[in-house]
Amino acid sequence: MAAQLTVHCLGMSFQNPVLVASGTFGYGDEYYDIMPFSRLGGLVTKTVTAAPRQGNPPPRIVETDCGMLNSIGLANVGLKVFIREKLPWILQHAAQARVVVNFAGFSVDEFVEVGTRLGQCRGIDALEVNLGCPNIKAGYIHFGADAAVVREVIGGLRRNVRLPLAAKLSPNVTDIAALAETAVQAGADAVSLINTLPGMKIDVNIRKPVIGMAFGGLSGPAIRPVGVACVYKVYQRLQEMGADVPIIGIGGIGSGSDALEYIMAGARLVQVGTANFVHPQAASLVLDELAGYCEKEGVSDISDLVGLAHEQ
Amino acid sequence: MIPDFQRVEVSDTTEVADSTYVLSFPEPESAAGLEPGQFCMISPELHPSDVFLPRPFSYYRVVDSQTIQILFRTYGRATRWMASLVPGNRIGVFGPLGNTFTIAPHARRAVLVAGGIGLPPLVLLAERLAALDDPPEIDLLYGEHTGDRIIDIKASLPAGVHLHLCTEDGAVGLKGLVTDLFRPIIAECNSPPAVYTCGPNAMMAALAGLLAPDSVAVFEASTEENMACGKGICKSCVIPMVTQDGTVRYRYCCTDGPVFNGFEVKWPHS
Repeated sequence: MAAQLTVHCLGMSFQNPVLVASGTFGYGDEYYDIMPFSRLGGLVTKTVTAAPRQGNPPPRIVETDCGMLNSIGLANVGLKVFIREKLPWILQHAAQARVVVNFAGFSVDEFVEVGTRLGQCRGIDALEVNLGCPNIKAGYIHFGADAAVVREVIGGLRRNVRLPLAAKLSPNVTDIAALAETAVQAGADAVSLINTLPGMKIDVNIRKPVIGMAFGGLSGPAIRPVGVACVYKVYQRLQEMGADVPIIGIGGIGSGSDALEYIMAGARLVQVGTANFVHPQAASLVLDELAGYCEKEGVSDISDLVGLAHEQ
Repeated sequence: MIPDFQRVEVSDTTEVADSTYVLSFPEPESAAGLEPGQFCMISPELHPSDVFLPRPFSYYRVVDSQTIQILFRTYGRATRWMASLVPGNRIGVFGPLGNTFTIAPHARRAVLVAGGIGLPPLVLLAERLAALDDPPEIDLLYGEHTGDRIIDIKASLPAGVHLHLCTEDGAVGLKGLVTDLFRPIIAECNSPPAVYTCGPNAMMAALAGLLAPDSVAVFEASTEENMACGKGICKSCVIPMVTQDGTVRYRYCCTDGPVFNGFEVKWPHS
Protein backbone atom coordinates (compact mmCIF):
# COMPACT_ATOMS: atom_id res chain seq x y z
CA MET A 1 0.00 0.00 0.00
CA ALA A 2 1.30 3.42 -0.91
CA ALA A 3 2.23 5.56 2.08
CA GLN A 4 0.07 8.44 3.17
CA LEU A 5 2.02 11.54 2.17
CA THR A 6 -0.69 14.06 2.97
CA VAL A 7 0.28 16.35 5.83
CA HIS A 8 -2.34 18.06 7.96
CA CYS A 9 -1.18 21.28 9.53
CA LEU A 10 -1.93 25.00 9.63
CA GLY A 11 -5.62 24.11 9.48
CA MET A 12 -5.35 22.59 6.01
CA SER A 13 -3.94 19.60 4.23
CA PHE A 14 -0.84 19.55 2.04
CA GLN A 15 -0.95 16.80 -0.56
CA ASN A 16 2.66 16.01 0.37
CA PRO A 17 5.34 17.58 2.56
CA VAL A 18 7.55 18.92 -0.26
CA LEU A 19 7.39 22.61 -1.12
CA VAL A 20 9.75 24.79 -3.13
CA ALA A 21 11.56 27.53 -1.23
CA SER A 22 11.26 31.25 -1.71
CA GLY A 23 13.53 32.74 -4.36
CA THR A 24 14.30 29.41 -5.97
CA PHE A 25 11.13 28.90 -7.97
CA GLY A 26 10.15 32.43 -8.93
CA TYR A 27 6.42 32.80 -9.31
CA GLY A 28 5.95 29.27 -10.62
CA ASP A 29 5.68 30.18 -14.30
CA GLU A 30 9.38 30.15 -15.22
CA TYR A 31 9.85 26.40 -14.75
CA TYR A 32 6.22 25.40 -15.30
CA ASP A 33 6.73 23.70 -18.68
CA ILE A 34 9.26 21.27 -17.26
CA MET A 35 8.27 21.27 -13.59
CA PRO A 36 4.60 21.94 -12.85
CA PHE A 37 4.54 22.72 -9.14
CA SER A 38 0.94 21.52 -8.91
CA ARG A 39 2.38 18.09 -8.00
CA LEU A 40 4.05 19.46 -4.90
CA GLY A 41 2.87 20.25 -1.42
CA GLY A 42 3.16 23.89 -2.24
CA LEU A 43 4.92 26.82 -3.84
CA VAL A 44 6.56 29.52 -1.74
CA THR A 45 6.92 32.65 -3.84
CA LYS A 46 9.91 34.89 -4.28
CA THR A 47 9.87 37.50 -1.50
CA VAL A 48 7.40 40.28 -2.24
CA THR A 49 8.09 43.82 -0.97
CA ALA A 50 5.89 46.91 -1.02
CA ALA A 51 7.77 48.59 -3.86
CA PRO A 52 9.39 46.92 -6.88
CA ARG A 53 13.12 46.41 -6.38
CA GLN A 54 15.96 46.27 -8.90
CA GLY A 55 18.23 44.52 -6.43
CA ASN A 56 21.96 44.63 -5.83
CA PRO A 57 24.85 45.23 -8.25
CA PRO A 58 26.38 42.10 -9.81
CA PRO A 59 27.97 39.66 -9.32
CA ARG A 60 25.08 38.46 -7.20
CA ILE A 61 25.97 34.81 -6.87
CA VAL A 62 28.98 32.58 -6.72
CA GLU A 63 29.42 28.89 -6.07
CA THR A 64 31.32 27.83 -2.97
CA ASP A 65 32.13 24.36 -1.65
CA CYS A 66 28.86 22.44 -1.78
CA GLY A 67 26.83 25.59 -1.85
CA MET A 68 26.16 28.99 -3.21
CA LEU A 69 26.46 32.55 -1.94
CA ASN A 70 23.88 35.04 -3.08
CA SER A 71 23.16 38.68 -2.57
CA ILE A 72 20.20 39.42 -4.81
CA GLY A 73 18.85 42.30 -2.77
CA LEU A 74 15.22 41.10 -2.85
CA ALA A 75 14.78 41.99 -6.52
CA ASN A 76 11.06 41.58 -7.19
CA VAL A 77 8.12 43.06 -9.06
CA GLY A 78 6.60 44.71 -5.98
CA LEU A 79 3.28 44.13 -4.23
CA LYS A 80 0.99 45.74 -6.82
CA VAL A 81 2.30 43.85 -9.84
CA PHE A 82 2.50 40.66 -7.80
CA ILE A 83 -1.18 40.87 -6.90
CA ARG A 84 -2.27 41.99 -10.36
CA GLU A 85 -0.13 39.76 -12.59
CA LYS A 86 1.71 37.01 -10.74
CA LEU A 87 -0.78 35.79 -8.13
CA PRO A 88 -3.67 35.11 -10.57
CA TRP A 89 -1.40 32.93 -12.71
CA ILE A 90 -0.16 31.02 -9.67
CA LEU A 91 -3.69 30.42 -8.40
CA GLN A 92 -4.83 29.29 -11.81
CA HIS A 93 -2.07 26.68 -12.03
CA ALA A 94 -1.66 25.55 -8.42
CA ALA A 95 -4.36 22.84 -8.50
CA GLN A 96 -3.93 21.00 -5.15
CA ALA A 97 -0.59 22.64 -4.31
CA ARG A 98 -0.74 25.20 -1.52
CA VAL A 99 0.22 28.77 -2.31
CA VAL A 100 2.46 30.38 0.29
CA VAL A 101 3.46 33.99 -0.29
CA ASN A 102 6.79 35.05 1.17
CA PHE A 103 7.11 38.75 1.91
CA ALA A 104 9.30 41.29 3.68
CA GLY A 105 9.35 44.89 4.78
CA PHE A 106 12.08 47.32 5.65
CA SER A 107 10.33 48.53 8.80
CA VAL A 108 7.87 46.96 11.21
CA ASP A 109 5.10 49.09 9.72
CA GLU A 110 5.95 47.99 6.21
CA PHE A 111 5.85 44.32 7.23
CA VAL A 112 2.38 44.82 8.68
CA GLU A 113 1.22 46.85 5.70
CA VAL A 114 2.36 44.30 3.10
CA GLY A 115 1.13 41.34 5.14
CA THR A 116 -2.25 42.97 5.68
CA ARG A 117 -2.67 43.65 1.97
CA LEU A 118 -1.70 40.06 1.08
CA GLY A 119 -4.09 38.82 3.75
CA GLN A 120 -6.95 40.39 1.81
CA CYS A 121 -6.13 38.46 -1.38
CA ARG A 122 -8.26 35.46 -2.22
CA GLY A 123 -6.59 32.14 -2.78
CA ILE A 124 -3.41 32.55 -0.75
CA ASP A 125 -3.12 29.65 1.71
CA ALA A 126 -0.44 31.01 4.03
CA LEU A 127 2.13 33.75 4.41
CA GLU A 128 5.81 33.28 5.14
CA VAL A 129 7.45 36.21 6.87
CA ASN A 130 11.02 36.80 5.69
CA LEU A 131 12.68 38.05 8.86
CA GLY A 132 16.12 37.83 7.28
CA CYS A 133 15.98 41.17 5.52
CA PRO A 134 17.73 44.27 6.86
CA ASN A 135 15.89 46.70 9.12
CA ILE A 136 16.77 50.04 7.56
CA LYS A 137 15.56 52.02 10.57
CA ALA A 138 17.67 49.94 12.95
CA GLY A 139 21.05 50.11 11.24
CA TYR A 140 20.39 47.28 8.78
CA ILE A 141 20.40 44.58 11.45
CA HIS A 142 18.10 41.88 10.20
CA PHE A 143 14.69 41.63 11.81
CA GLY A 144 15.13 38.06 12.93
CA ALA A 145 18.14 38.85 15.12
CA ASP A 146 16.26 40.66 17.84
CA ALA A 147 13.52 38.98 19.87
CA ALA A 148 11.78 42.29 20.60
CA VAL A 149 11.58 43.09 16.89
CA VAL A 150 10.37 39.58 16.03
CA ARG A 151 7.63 40.03 18.62
CA GLU A 152 6.69 43.39 17.14
CA VAL A 153 6.58 42.17 13.52
CA ILE A 154 4.77 38.90 14.15
CA GLY A 155 2.48 40.47 16.75
CA GLY A 156 1.60 43.32 14.40
CA LEU A 157 0.83 40.90 11.61
CA ARG A 158 -1.17 38.62 13.87
CA ARG A 159 -3.49 41.47 14.84
CA ASN A 160 -4.17 42.26 11.17
CA VAL A 161 -3.90 39.00 9.25
CA ARG A 162 -6.07 35.90 9.50
CA LEU A 163 -4.01 33.70 7.19
CA PRO A 164 -1.59 31.23 8.76
CA LEU A 165 1.76 32.92 9.38
CA ALA A 166 5.09 31.13 9.12
CA ALA A 167 8.05 33.01 10.60
CA LYS A 168 11.17 32.32 8.53
CA LEU A 169 14.14 32.62 10.85
CA SER A 170 17.81 33.23 10.26
CA PRO A 171 20.29 30.78 11.80
CA ASN A 172 22.74 33.61 12.41
CA VAL A 173 21.65 34.14 16.01
CA THR A 174 22.85 32.99 19.41
CA ASP A 175 19.76 31.00 20.28
CA ILE A 176 17.36 30.19 17.48
CA ALA A 177 15.07 28.27 19.84
CA ALA A 178 14.49 31.42 21.88
CA LEU A 179 13.58 33.37 18.75
CA ALA A 180 11.26 30.61 17.57
CA GLU A 181 9.59 30.66 20.95
CA THR A 182 9.16 34.42 20.71
CA ALA A 183 7.67 34.14 17.23
CA VAL A 184 5.21 31.49 18.38
CA GLN A 185 4.22 33.47 21.47
CA ALA A 186 3.65 36.49 19.24
CA GLY A 187 1.26 34.49 17.10
CA ALA A 188 3.22 32.62 14.44
CA ASP A 189 1.46 29.46 13.29
CA ALA A 190 4.64 27.86 11.96
CA VAL A 191 8.38 28.43 11.88
CA SER A 192 10.45 28.05 8.71
CA LEU A 193 14.03 27.02 9.42
CA ILE A 194 16.48 28.12 8.07
CA ASN A 195 17.24 31.15 5.98
CA THR A 196 20.76 31.53 4.49
CA LEU A 197 23.92 32.00 6.55
CA PRO A 198 26.08 35.08 5.96
CA GLY A 199 29.27 34.32 4.07
CA MET A 200 31.95 35.72 1.82
CA LYS A 201 34.21 34.49 -0.94
CA ILE A 202 37.29 36.42 -1.94
CA ASP A 203 38.79 36.21 -5.42
CA VAL A 204 42.49 36.08 -4.62
CA ASN A 205 43.39 37.19 -8.15
CA ILE A 206 41.60 40.50 -7.87
CA ARG A 207 41.97 40.58 -4.04
CA LYS A 208 38.35 41.48 -3.52
CA PRO A 209 35.11 39.78 -2.50
CA VAL A 210 33.46 38.11 -5.49
CA ILE A 211 29.94 39.24 -4.58
CA GLY A 212 29.14 42.84 -5.55
CA MET A 213 27.85 43.61 -2.05
CA ALA A 214 30.82 41.73 -0.50
CA PHE A 215 28.63 39.52 1.74
CA GLY A 216 26.18 36.92 0.55
CA GLY A 217 23.80 34.36 2.01
CA LEU A 218 25.11 30.80 1.95
CA SER A 219 22.71 28.07 0.82
CA GLY A 220 22.90 24.55 -0.55
CA PRO A 221 24.15 21.24 0.89
CA ALA A 222 26.87 23.07 2.87
CA ILE A 223 24.28 24.41 5.32
CA ARG A 224 22.17 21.27 5.73
CA PRO A 225 23.75 20.20 9.06
CA VAL A 226 23.12 23.70 10.42
CA GLY A 227 19.51 23.58 9.29
CA VAL A 228 18.90 20.11 10.69
CA ALA A 229 20.41 21.15 14.04
CA CYS A 230 18.20 24.26 14.16
CA VAL A 231 15.08 22.22 13.45
CA TYR A 232 16.08 19.70 16.11
CA LYS A 233 16.64 22.43 18.72
CA VAL A 234 13.44 24.29 17.92
CA TYR A 235 11.38 21.09 17.87
CA GLN A 236 12.64 20.32 21.37
CA ARG A 237 11.76 23.80 22.60
CA LEU A 238 8.28 23.70 21.08
CA GLN A 239 7.67 20.32 22.72
CA GLU A 240 8.73 21.76 26.07
CA MET A 241 6.35 24.66 25.51
CA GLY A 242 3.58 22.23 24.64
CA ALA A 243 3.06 24.20 21.42
CA ASP A 244 1.62 22.26 18.49
CA VAL A 245 3.38 24.42 15.92
CA PRO A 246 4.70 22.89 12.71
CA ILE A 247 8.29 23.40 11.63
CA ILE A 248 9.10 23.83 7.95
CA GLY A 249 12.61 22.52 7.27
CA ILE A 250 14.77 24.33 4.71
CA GLY A 251 18.46 24.25 3.87
CA GLY A 252 20.35 22.06 1.43
CA ILE A 253 17.60 19.59 0.61
CA GLY A 254 18.23 17.88 -2.72
CA SER A 255 17.23 14.27 -2.07
CA GLY A 256 14.71 12.19 -0.21
CA SER A 257 17.21 11.37 2.51
CA ASP A 258 18.02 15.06 2.98
CA ALA A 259 14.31 15.72 3.48
CA LEU A 260 14.07 12.77 5.89
CA GLU A 261 16.83 14.25 8.04
CA TYR A 262 14.73 17.38 8.51
CA ILE A 263 11.54 15.40 9.09
CA MET A 264 13.19 13.17 11.68
CA ALA A 265 14.63 16.27 13.36
CA GLY A 266 11.08 17.57 13.69
CA ALA A 267 9.95 19.22 10.44
CA ARG A 268 6.43 18.49 9.24
CA LEU A 269 6.99 20.15 5.88
CA VAL A 270 10.19 20.74 3.92
CA GLN A 271 11.24 23.16 1.21
CA VAL A 272 13.62 22.42 -1.63
CA GLY A 273 15.64 25.52 -2.48
CA THR A 274 19.00 25.86 -4.18
CA ALA A 275 18.69 22.33 -5.63
CA ASN A 276 16.03 23.72 -7.99
CA PHE A 277 18.84 25.52 -9.79
CA VAL A 278 20.87 22.34 -10.11
CA HIS A 279 17.91 20.41 -11.48
CA PRO A 280 14.58 22.11 -12.20
CA GLN A 281 12.79 18.88 -11.22
CA ALA A 282 14.70 18.48 -7.94
CA ALA A 283 11.60 18.89 -5.77
CA SER A 284 9.81 16.21 -7.75
CA LEU A 285 12.76 13.85 -7.28
CA VAL A 286 12.78 14.55 -3.54
CA LEU A 287 9.09 13.70 -3.41
CA ASP A 288 9.57 10.44 -5.36
CA GLU A 289 12.44 9.41 -3.12
CA LEU A 290 10.40 10.16 0.01
CA ALA A 291 7.54 8.04 -1.30
CA GLY A 292 10.01 5.29 -2.20
CA TYR A 293 11.51 5.33 1.30
CA CYS A 294 8.11 5.06 2.94
CA GLU A 295 7.13 2.17 0.76
CA LYS A 296 10.39 0.32 1.31
CA GLU A 297 10.37 0.88 5.06
CA GLY A 298 6.67 0.16 5.48
CA VAL A 299 5.86 3.66 6.72
CA SER A 300 2.12 4.09 6.36
CA ASP A 301 1.99 7.81 7.15
CA ILE A 302 4.90 10.15 6.59
CA SER A 303 3.87 12.21 9.59
CA ASP A 304 4.82 9.23 11.79
CA LEU A 305 8.44 10.07 11.02
CA VAL A 306 8.28 13.63 12.36
CA GLY A 307 10.69 14.10 15.25
CA LEU A 308 11.72 10.43 15.37
CA ALA A 309 15.37 11.36 15.90
CA HIS A 310 14.43 12.67 19.35
CA GLU A 311 13.26 9.31 20.65
CA GLN A 312 15.65 7.54 22.98
CA MET B 1 11.35 26.26 -28.56
CA ILE B 2 10.56 25.24 -24.97
CA PRO B 3 13.75 24.55 -23.00
CA ASP B 4 14.09 21.07 -21.61
CA PHE B 5 16.26 19.48 -18.94
CA GLN B 6 17.89 16.27 -20.08
CA ARG B 7 20.56 13.90 -18.92
CA VAL B 8 22.77 13.01 -21.84
CA GLU B 9 25.92 11.00 -22.37
CA VAL B 10 29.00 12.90 -23.44
CA SER B 11 30.16 11.68 -26.83
CA ASP B 12 33.51 13.44 -26.91
CA THR B 13 35.81 15.93 -25.17
CA THR B 14 38.73 17.18 -27.26
CA GLU B 15 41.40 19.74 -26.41
CA VAL B 16 41.55 22.08 -29.39
CA ALA B 17 43.94 24.73 -28.06
CA ASP B 18 45.73 25.50 -24.80
CA SER B 19 43.22 24.89 -21.95
CA THR B 20 40.42 24.99 -24.54
CA TYR B 21 38.06 22.11 -25.24
CA VAL B 22 35.14 21.09 -27.40
CA LEU B 23 32.51 19.11 -25.55
CA SER B 24 30.12 17.11 -27.76
CA PHE B 25 26.87 15.47 -26.74
CA PRO B 26 23.86 14.19 -28.63
CA GLU B 27 20.66 16.16 -28.36
CA PRO B 28 18.67 15.59 -31.53
CA GLU B 29 15.51 17.17 -30.17
CA SER B 30 16.83 20.66 -29.65
CA ALA B 31 19.80 20.63 -32.05
CA ALA B 32 17.75 21.53 -35.08
CA GLY B 33 16.07 24.53 -33.49
CA LEU B 34 19.04 26.25 -31.89
CA GLU B 35 19.69 29.90 -32.63
CA PRO B 36 23.10 31.58 -32.47
CA GLY B 37 23.54 33.35 -29.14
CA GLN B 38 21.36 30.91 -27.24
CA PHE B 39 22.92 28.93 -24.44
CA CYS B 40 22.45 25.92 -22.22
CA MET B 41 23.18 25.19 -18.57
CA ILE B 42 25.56 22.26 -18.11
CA SER B 43 25.44 20.46 -14.78
CA PRO B 44 26.93 17.42 -13.12
CA GLU B 45 24.81 14.76 -11.41
CA LEU B 46 22.64 15.96 -8.56
CA HIS B 47 25.00 14.93 -5.76
CA PRO B 48 28.47 15.73 -7.01
CA SER B 49 31.55 15.98 -4.91
CA ASP B 50 32.82 19.38 -5.84
CA VAL B 51 30.82 21.02 -8.63
CA PHE B 52 27.39 22.08 -7.52
CA LEU B 53 25.64 24.64 -9.72
CA PRO B 54 25.15 24.38 -13.47
CA ARG B 55 27.14 26.75 -15.71
CA PRO B 56 25.95 28.60 -18.80
CA PHE B 57 27.61 27.98 -22.19
CA SER B 58 26.74 29.39 -25.60
CA TYR B 59 26.15 26.85 -28.32
CA TYR B 60 29.17 26.55 -30.58
CA ARG B 61 28.21 24.15 -33.34
CA VAL B 62 25.56 21.70 -34.36
CA VAL B 63 26.92 18.65 -36.17
CA ASP B 64 24.61 16.72 -38.54
CA SER B 65 21.53 18.20 -36.79
CA GLN B 66 22.20 15.64 -34.01
CA THR B 67 25.16 16.57 -31.92
CA ILE B 68 25.66 19.78 -29.99
CA GLN B 69 29.11 21.19 -29.37
CA ILE B 70 30.17 23.55 -26.61
CA LEU B 71 33.52 25.31 -26.69
CA PHE B 72 34.97 26.11 -23.28
CA ARG B 73 38.20 27.08 -21.59
CA THR B 74 39.29 25.78 -18.18
CA TYR B 75 39.07 28.54 -15.61
CA GLY B 76 37.62 27.15 -12.39
CA ARG B 77 36.54 23.83 -11.02
CA ALA B 78 33.44 23.42 -13.17
CA THR B 79 35.35 23.80 -16.41
CA ARG B 80 38.11 21.53 -15.08
CA TRP B 81 35.42 18.94 -14.32
CA MET B 82 34.09 19.36 -17.86
CA ALA B 83 37.57 18.90 -19.32
CA SER B 84 37.82 15.58 -17.47
CA LEU B 85 34.63 14.17 -19.01
CA VAL B 86 35.03 11.08 -21.14
CA PRO B 87 32.58 9.46 -23.57
CA GLY B 88 29.75 7.85 -21.65
CA ASN B 89 29.88 10.26 -18.68
CA ARG B 90 26.51 11.79 -17.97
CA ILE B 91 25.79 15.49 -17.75
CA GLY B 92 22.64 17.53 -17.29
CA VAL B 93 21.77 19.91 -20.12
CA PHE B 94 19.07 22.56 -19.76
CA GLY B 95 18.30 24.49 -22.91
CA PRO B 96 17.96 26.14 -25.31
CA LEU B 97 17.83 29.33 -23.24
CA GLY B 98 18.09 33.02 -24.03
CA ASN B 99 17.64 35.11 -27.14
CA THR B 100 19.49 35.35 -30.42
CA PHE B 101 21.15 37.94 -32.65
CA THR B 102 19.13 40.16 -34.95
CA ILE B 103 19.72 39.49 -38.62
CA ALA B 104 19.78 42.91 -40.30
CA PRO B 105 18.28 42.24 -43.75
CA HIS B 106 19.67 45.37 -45.38
CA ALA B 107 23.23 45.13 -44.08
CA ARG B 108 25.48 44.03 -46.92
CA ARG B 109 28.33 43.36 -44.56
CA ALA B 110 28.44 41.58 -41.21
CA VAL B 111 31.42 42.09 -38.94
CA LEU B 112 31.70 39.54 -36.13
CA VAL B 113 34.20 40.38 -33.40
CA ALA B 114 35.28 37.60 -31.04
CA GLY B 115 37.63 37.94 -28.11
CA GLY B 116 39.02 34.72 -26.63
CA ILE B 117 36.39 32.32 -25.41
CA GLY B 118 33.70 34.68 -26.73
CA LEU B 119 34.16 32.91 -30.06
CA PRO B 120 31.44 30.17 -29.93
CA PRO B 121 28.21 32.11 -30.56
CA LEU B 122 29.85 34.03 -33.39
CA VAL B 123 30.93 30.86 -35.19
CA LEU B 124 27.33 29.63 -35.09
CA LEU B 125 26.18 33.07 -36.25
CA ALA B 126 28.70 33.10 -39.13
CA GLU B 127 27.34 29.73 -40.26
CA ARG B 128 23.76 30.97 -40.17
CA LEU B 129 24.57 34.19 -41.99
CA ALA B 130 26.49 32.31 -44.68
CA ALA B 131 23.49 30.02 -45.20
CA LEU B 132 21.10 32.91 -45.93
CA ASP B 133 19.65 33.09 -49.45
CA ASP B 134 21.36 36.39 -50.05
CA PRO B 135 24.21 36.37 -47.54
CA PRO B 136 26.10 39.53 -46.62
CA GLU B 137 29.85 39.71 -46.84
CA ILE B 138 31.01 38.17 -43.55
CA ASP B 139 34.16 39.06 -41.63
CA LEU B 140 35.02 37.12 -38.48
CA LEU B 141 37.61 38.90 -36.35
CA TYR B 142 39.11 36.74 -33.65
CA GLY B 143 41.78 37.61 -31.13
CA GLU B 144 43.55 35.81 -28.30
CA HIS B 145 46.23 36.77 -25.77
CA THR B 146 48.64 34.15 -27.05
CA GLY B 147 49.07 32.05 -30.17
CA ASP B 148 48.71 28.74 -28.32
CA ARG B 149 45.13 29.71 -27.47
CA ILE B 150 44.03 30.28 -31.06
CA ILE B 151 41.45 27.70 -32.07
CA ASP B 152 42.00 26.58 -35.64
CA ILE B 153 38.58 27.18 -37.14
CA LYS B 154 39.59 28.25 -40.64
CA ALA B 155 39.02 24.92 -42.35
CA SER B 156 35.60 24.41 -40.78
CA LEU B 157 34.14 27.85 -41.53
CA PRO B 158 31.69 28.10 -44.43
CA ALA B 159 33.08 29.42 -47.71
CA GLY B 160 32.80 33.16 -47.90
CA VAL B 161 33.54 33.89 -44.25
CA HIS B 162 36.70 35.98 -44.09
CA LEU B 163 38.69 35.11 -40.98
CA HIS B 164 41.03 37.73 -39.48
CA LEU B 165 43.25 36.71 -36.59
CA CYS B 166 45.28 38.62 -34.04
CA THR B 167 47.22 37.81 -30.89
CA GLU B 168 48.79 40.03 -28.28
CA ASP B 169 52.03 38.04 -28.45
CA GLY B 170 52.03 38.21 -32.25
CA ALA B 171 52.44 34.43 -32.64
CA VAL B 172 49.42 34.17 -34.93
CA GLY B 173 47.97 36.87 -37.18
CA LEU B 174 48.29 40.55 -36.49
CA LYS B 175 50.18 41.48 -33.32
CA GLY B 176 47.68 43.50 -31.37
CA LEU B 177 44.05 43.64 -30.28
CA VAL B 178 40.85 42.87 -32.18
CA THR B 179 40.12 46.57 -32.18
CA ASP B 180 43.23 46.96 -34.36
CA LEU B 181 41.65 44.51 -36.83
CA PHE B 182 38.31 46.21 -36.49
CA ARG B 183 39.20 49.83 -37.30
CA PRO B 184 40.34 49.38 -40.94
CA ILE B 185 37.47 47.00 -41.73
CA ILE B 186 34.85 49.42 -40.41
CA ALA B 187 36.56 52.30 -42.25
CA GLU B 188 36.20 50.54 -45.60
CA CYS B 189 32.49 49.75 -45.22
CA ASN B 190 30.45 51.58 -47.86
CA SER B 191 27.15 51.11 -46.08
CA PRO B 192 26.26 50.56 -42.43
CA PRO B 193 27.40 47.04 -41.46
CA ALA B 194 25.87 44.72 -38.88
CA VAL B 195 28.32 44.35 -36.01
CA TYR B 196 28.12 41.46 -33.56
CA THR B 197 30.48 40.82 -30.69
CA CYS B 198 31.22 38.49 -27.80
CA GLY B 199 34.25 38.62 -25.56
CA PRO B 200 35.69 40.39 -22.54
CA ASN B 201 33.66 43.40 -21.39
CA ALA B 202 36.63 45.73 -21.94
CA MET B 203 36.81 44.63 -25.57
CA MET B 204 33.09 45.06 -26.17
CA ALA B 205 33.19 48.45 -24.43
CA ALA B 206 36.04 49.51 -26.72
CA LEU B 207 34.02 48.52 -29.79
CA ALA B 208 31.04 50.50 -28.52
CA GLY B 209 33.38 53.48 -28.22
CA LEU B 210 34.50 53.10 -31.84
CA LEU B 211 30.97 53.05 -33.27
CA ALA B 212 28.21 55.60 -33.65
CA PRO B 213 24.63 54.30 -33.62
CA ASP B 214 23.87 55.73 -37.07
CA SER B 215 26.99 54.16 -38.62
CA VAL B 216 25.82 50.57 -38.17
CA ALA B 217 22.71 48.57 -39.03
CA VAL B 218 22.91 46.80 -35.67
CA PHE B 219 25.51 46.51 -32.94
CA GLU B 220 24.80 43.54 -30.71
CA ALA B 221 26.83 42.12 -27.86
CA SER B 222 26.47 38.71 -26.25
CA THR B 223 26.99 39.19 -22.50
CA GLU B 224 27.77 36.98 -19.54
CA GLU B 225 27.19 37.15 -15.79
CA ASN B 226 27.18 34.59 -12.98
CA MET B 227 23.86 32.78 -12.97
CA ALA B 228 22.34 29.80 -11.19
CA CYS B 229 19.13 28.92 -13.03
CA GLY B 230 19.26 30.29 -16.61
CA LYS B 231 15.52 30.89 -16.54
CA GLY B 232 14.89 34.18 -14.73
CA ILE B 233 14.33 32.71 -11.29
CA CYS B 234 17.49 33.26 -9.28
CA LYS B 235 17.66 36.94 -10.31
CA SER B 236 21.46 36.83 -10.31
CA CYS B 237 22.66 37.65 -13.79
CA VAL B 238 21.89 41.33 -14.08
CA ILE B 239 23.38 43.42 -16.88
CA PRO B 240 23.23 47.20 -16.33
CA MET B 241 21.58 49.01 -19.22
CA VAL B 242 21.40 52.75 -19.86
CA THR B 243 17.81 53.78 -20.52
CA GLN B 244 16.71 56.66 -22.73
CA ASP B 245 16.36 59.02 -19.78
CA GLY B 246 19.95 58.26 -18.80
CA THR B 247 19.18 56.13 -15.74
CA VAL B 248 20.65 52.66 -15.31
CA ARG B 249 18.31 49.69 -15.17
CA TYR B 250 19.13 46.05 -14.69
CA ARG B 251 18.10 43.47 -17.23
CA TYR B 252 18.62 39.74 -16.93
CA CYS B 253 21.33 38.12 -19.02
CA CYS B 254 19.44 34.80 -19.10
CA THR B 255 15.93 35.81 -20.14
CA ASP B 256 16.31 39.34 -21.57
CA GLY B 257 19.64 38.42 -23.20
CA PRO B 258 22.32 37.24 -23.42
CA VAL B 259 22.36 39.33 -26.63
CA PHE B 260 21.75 43.05 -26.10
CA ASN B 261 22.06 46.24 -28.11
CA GLY B 262 25.71 47.06 -27.50
CA PHE B 263 25.00 50.77 -27.31
CA GLU B 264 22.57 50.29 -24.44
CA VAL B 265 24.77 48.19 -22.18
CA LYS B 266 26.40 50.21 -19.41
CA TRP B 267 29.89 48.83 -19.89
CA PRO B 268 32.22 48.81 -16.88
CA HIS B 269 34.24 52.04 -16.69
CA SER B 270 32.29 53.57 -19.58
